[in-house]
Amino acid sequence: MIAHSATDSPAAPFVHRWDPRMKLIGLLLLAFTFSFVTNPRVLPVMIALTLVVVAVSRYPLNLLLRRLRYPSLVILGLIALLPFISGFTPLVEWGGLTITREGLQAAILVATRFFCIVTLAAVLLGTTPLLRTITAMQALGLPSIMADMTLLVIRYLEVLSADLRRMRIAMRLRGHAEQRRPWRNLPTLAWLTGSLILRGYERSQGVYNAMRLRGYGHAPIRQSEFTANRKDLLALAGICALSGILIWLELAL
Amino acid sequence: MHIPDGILPLPVTLGGYAVSITICWLCIRSINNRQDPRADVPKAALLTSAFFVASLIHIPIPPTSAHLVLNGLLGALLGVFAFPAILIGLFLQAVMFGHGGLTTLGVNGMILGLPALAAAGVFHCRSRGIMGPPSPKRTTVFGFLAGFSGIVLSVLLFALILLTSLPAHLSAAAERSAILALGLAHMPLAVMEGLLTGLLAGFLLRVQPAILEGV
Repeated sequence: MIAHSATDSPAAPFVHRWDPRMKLIGLLLLAFTFSFVTNPRVLPVMIALTLVVVAVSRYPLNLLLRRLRYPSLVILGLIALLPFISGFTPLVEWGGLTITREGLQAAILVATRFFCIVTLAAVLLGTTPLLRTITAMQALGLPSIMADMTLLVIRYLEVLSADLRRMRIAMRLRGHAEQRRPWRNLPTLAWLTGSLILRGYERSQGVYNAMRLRGYGHAPIRQSEFTANRKDLLALAGICALSGILIWLELAL
Repeated sequence: MHIPDGILPLPVTLGGYAVSITICWLCIRSINNRQDPRADVPKAALLTSAFFVASLIHIPIPPTSAHLVLNGLLGALLGVFAFPAILIGLFLQAVMFGHGGLTTLGVNGMILGLPALAAAGVFHCRSRGIMGPPSPKRTTVFGFLAGFSGIVLSVLLFALILLTSLPAHLSAAAERSAILALGLAHMPLAVMEGLLTGLLAGFLLRVQPAILEGV
């Protein structure tokens, strides 16, 4: 799960109290600017910027490391393979394997962009509760159908996960043992998945009725709960300026 | 089949967002044209939760195991809700577990969402035209086709987008070999998921046929 370190206390660092709408815009702007960078000379600036955000947010390092502990297998595989399978200028030759300069540069570029974007996302999203982030997305124009669906999905993830755990325990108590031939397990897995889907489907009617009784779809439209003050806007302007500098460095260096 | 942040160049990530937002907008417009657009939201959301949780179930494929993707079945059961549901699932996976990415959300939405919509079309062919009401055998066969095509199309899209957007030169022969290797590596998963989706569709037809009519 996401490593949350969110607090609304006035003593908390500004990143924690930053208007979530501005924070989301700033995060996306920086993330997309990072994916624009291809010049190896800009990479140290990108890393420095990321580390400054981590330091300013005072995000707990152990939470951040936990978040970065399992980077995607695709990234690991790519970083390991790119120096050998791409490029054309040999750098090192060893036992029939050739490491190319272009491949090595591409691997470093991918690894740095991945590390910087994932770190920024962990810090900026981890300092706002998820439900508040979704409300901010709705305030930024996310359709209400999608916002309602997202909130309900989060609400019922835990419930259905607990259902799955119980069903698996029940299966084992009734003597279910995994077969050596994988296709022999398929009917059991299909019925387990089907039962989980059925539980969700049957629960949904009750949920809808309860929501209707509470006025779902007929409640007056609420004003946005977010107000951006001068500090919030200045911080976003700062992020825009930093993105502009990165783009300028990418094109000029 | 999630492309993480950092691999794809800006034009591809922005293009992915543009395509995904357009498809999602078309789906939401179709939902909003219904008599009561909000009536099916809880059903779609709870089924999305169930799919999210079910995707944690691993199928043993010796010498390893793979988790279910279920985009074919999701398309078959959720219809136009499938694409928004996949985007929501991918967003939550990126934010809660760090799988996939924020800049690649649009591209990943295309990789899993477009095959889900195609699988929905395949599955609903079982009761179209001269075929009459769907029999258990036909439901199982079309369930298999929906599950199988969902994975195969996703793998093809994943390989094409990844290999044509890498920030390094790959020879045409290396690209072809990589696409072939990725396709072959995912074939057992596609067959297993097809079989599981077929069995599951047959199970749902027996115990709750209304669910197969879509949301």
